[in-house]
Amino acid sequence: MNTNVMTETAGDIVAENKPVTADTIAEQNADAYETVGNAFCDQAKMSMRNVNVFYDEKQAIYDVNLDIGTNEVVAMIGPSGCGKSTFLRCLNRMNDTIDICRVEGQFYLEDQDINDKKMDVVPLRARVGMVFQKPNPFPKSIYDNVAYGPRIHGLADRRSDLDEIVENSLQKAGLWAEVKDRLHQPGTGLSGGQQQRLCIARTIAVSPEVILMDEPCSALDPIATAKIEELIDELSQNYTIAIVTHSMQQAARVSHRTAYFHLGKLIEVNETEKVFTNPDHELTEAYITGRFG
Amino acid sequence: MDKLNIDRHISQQYNSALDDLKKEFLEMGGVVEKQIIDAVQSVAEADVDTAQKVLTTEQDVDAREMAIDDLCTQIIARRQPTASDLRLVMSVSKSTRDLERIGDEASKIAKMAIAISESDDVPHGFSELRNLGRQVHDVVDMTLTAFARYDVDLAVEVVSKDKVIDREYDTAMRELITYMMEDPRNISRSMNVIWALRALERIGDHASNISEQIIYLVKGLDVRHQSADEMVQQLNQE
Amino acid sequence: MTDKPLKTIDRVNRTLGKRHRAEKRFRLYGMLSIGFGLLCVLFLFTNIIGKGLNGFTYHFLELQVELDRETLEITDITNENQILAANYSGVVKRSVYEFFEAQGRKNKASARKLIATEGTGYILQGRLKENAEDLVDTQTTVWALVDDKVDFYLKRLGDPGEPGKHEFNEQQLQWIHEAVEAGKLKRKINWAFFNAGDSAHSEEAGIRGAVMGSFYLLLVTFCLSFPIGVSAAIYLEEYAPKNKWTDLIEVNINNLAAVPSIIFGLLGLAIFLAFFGLPRSTPLVGGFVLSLMTLPTIIISSRAAIKAVPPSIRQAAYGLGASKMQVTLHHVLPLAMPGMLTGTIIGLAQALGESAPLLMIGMAAFIPEIPAGVTDPATALPMQIFQWFRNADAGFNEKASAAILILLVFLIIMNALAVWARRRLERRW
Repeated sequence: MNTNVMTETAGDIVAENKPVTADTIAEQNADAYETVGNAFCDQAKMSMRNVNVFYDEKQAIYDVNLDIGTNEVVAMIGPSGCGKSTFLRCLNRMNDTIDICRVEGQFYLEDQDINDKKMDVVPLRARVGMVFQKPNPFPKSIYDNVAYGPRIHGLADRRSDLDEIVENSLQKAGLWAEVKDRLHQPGTGLSGGQQQRLCIARTIAVSPEVILMDEPCSALDPIATAKIEELIDELSQNYTIAIVTHSMQQAARVSHRTAYFHLGKLIEVNETEKVFTNPDHELTEAYITGRFG
Repeated sequence: MDKLNIDRHISQQYNSALDDLKKEFLEMGGVVEKQIIDAVQSVAEADVDTAQKVLTTEQDVDAREMAIDDLCTQIIARRQPTASDLRLVMSVSKSTRDLERIGDEASKIAKMAIAISESDDVPHGFSELRNLGRQVHDVVDMTLTAFARYDVDLAVEVVSKDKVIDREYDTAMRELITYMMEDPRNISRSMNVIWALRALERIGDHASNISEQIIYLVKGLDVRHQSADEMVQQLNQE
Repeated sequence: MTDKPLKTIDRVNRTLGKRHRAEKRFRLYGMLSIGFGLLCVLFLFTNIIGKGLNGFTYHFLELQVELDRETLEITDITNENQILAANYSGVVKRSVYEFFEAQGRKNKASARKLIATEGTGYILQGRLKENAEDLVDTQTTVWALVDDKVDFYLKRLGDPGEPGKHEFNEQQLQWIHEAVEAGKLKRKINWAFFNAGDSAHSEEAGIRGAVMGSFYLLLVTFCLSFPIGVSAAIYLEEYAPKNKWTDLIEVNINNLAAVPSIIFGLLGLAIFLAFFGLPRSTPLVGGFVLSLMTLPTIIISSRAAIKAVPPSIRQAAYGLGASKMQVTLHHVLPLAMPGMLTGTIIGLAQALGESAPLLMIGMAAFIPEIPAGVTDPATALPMQIFQWFRNADAGFNEKASAAILILLVFLIIMNALAVWARRRLERRW
């Protein structure tokens, strides 16, 4: 049924059907809606089941089911306010800091339900790290920025261990060569792209299993963006990555699977190649071809 | 959220660029179609003028091919098309090449028409040529219609019709070979006809290729190098 | 439609002049109001500085004083009590008579009235206390304090109407002018003003007691209000749930900042003095009261400073798995500290200038001693100024102006400190 609709929408030379709008489709799907594509995978690092998120009475996310595979890069795309960032922030319970936010559903990190209120968020966030939209280094030295996580979690007993962690993390973030001579200068003195890589280094310094990235390149220029994307590619060897992005090209470039959110619903999850050449759902199609958004 | 029309791109320019691409492709298709008609006619009626016209048109077709290629490159460079847009650009880009080849084949037929007209007697096999020519023209016409309408069924029909054309070609060939064996003096004349038939058969193949691209364009399925049955089966699975 | 339609640029040009004029007028209004403000400040400063500078100086007469045992009535120079109780004014008076060569009871009385014999006596007493053995039975030079009427007259010599002249008779005027011409009667900086406590005599009165009182007050205020204010701000910003109760608390804190300060004085009177029975007139109680008054300011400014910490920093720390306390102590507090300190210093500066609440807890008393701790009775600078201004004696008015200058200097120092603290702490990154 979907493909038929899509044929009509695509064939606008001869198509004479009445205009299909994003709203009408969303309405049609409001009652009975099911994520199309392939939301599950075999080696899931994180499995989210029946996720509903509310801000006060307003529902922001409707019944989302999604798996994120081990060492997989999953990109989440969708128009503004579609709930993709909210969903991402549920994965390490950053929404806890928002009073009016209520999260329902199961979030399994391996076998552990992380949405359990009894679960301590401190070890959770050590396992699921996060990189934010705006580069946000602490107003401390480069060294202290990277060392902060290991310090609060007590990962290094000796100074030399800490030095090693800092160096390794900066190496992995591709920043070591640029900053090794000025480790004790403020991290805020770096360029935007370097700051973001510093933030990534800071995140991987605690050796998380999953890294969440919330539009990590939206404040960066194309060269810095390219470096971050290259970094994401390298990191995916060892880490599981979920990335929210506004740039569809970025999703296409870095991710293995792409999830499309629309008005709080997970519309489609598929292999990235498929989403960008032949998406299953007409809303995905419309969004990625730039017909709304 | 305001009412958004997902029929159209937000960018009007992008919209019109894609529309232009489709229009240019269909126009080129029209020109090539006319070439086929003219070429077959020039052979059938030994009309040198028409044949010459086919040959001149060939330059126009070449120019159109380059223009469409350029347009495709422009769209890729500027818009980074995705999904259906990407498939449109890719399939047009590939199909244009096929269209151009069809033009080439038509020119071959036209050249042959000129060669035949220089000898007086009517060679054997003209009826087959005309018959095959009509069918090939039908197939090309169907292909262009399928493209214009994004009609997968029609495209599938083109592919299966191409098989019919292939069989007809085989029959005609066998007949001509028999004819040549009967009287070896006919060989050089018959060879010309064979070349023309061969060209027509090639045109059918190109039309079939374009149809496969149309299926890719509409369905996102790569159905090349398959039998028609397999293709239908795969389409039904979707 | 005979006219050609006007082009946009023509229409724009037509109103351009008017717009520019309006622009200029608008700028003028601003400049006028700033000018008015500056004028007021200038007037205030010239007035206070003009009067106040007089308060720092005094006229002294160079006297040779014979410190003989008999007149001093000292029998045993090792006996401290005798030295303290010695008849210093006697020796001073004698020197004065000698200096002015005054003969007869009437002249002697006239001469005596020109000099503050008691005050000069204290100077001598102070010297003898340190080194009685060497000084007794010798002659020593002392810059004797003149009577405050003489000082008043001399400071206004050139003024029209010759203020203060009518206080003196012919003989006295002659003596005064002779002494000035001889270079014996000079205007000098009055160090006693900085070193002494309050006194009934204007020439002896100093601000040391008030300054120390204010210092102890601020010490108590700071020690109480800074930790309490900052903790309250942190709790309200970082921990407290946002509900009706915290809203109520917030409204109350904001209202407290606007409560007239005398109410805090009443509260202090009722609670600290009446209920807890703490000693009145002490910086301890004053500090408690001023803390109550300063707390809202500190809480409000600290909350603003905490709010101003970028949420991205908090998120970054939370994202790394920092606990709430770690986020607060490692990131929020250091970043908010400059703002908090600024608010605190400004609150303290306010407290420094406050007098009304102190009135209520008895810090307006006459306290000549210099307080040595927070539990000694003391007064504060603004209270001292208030009392001196209330005094009819012209000498005290001068002192009050001088004290205002001192108070202003302290306030400027504190504000500069606030600016410096903010710059210094912020510039680190």
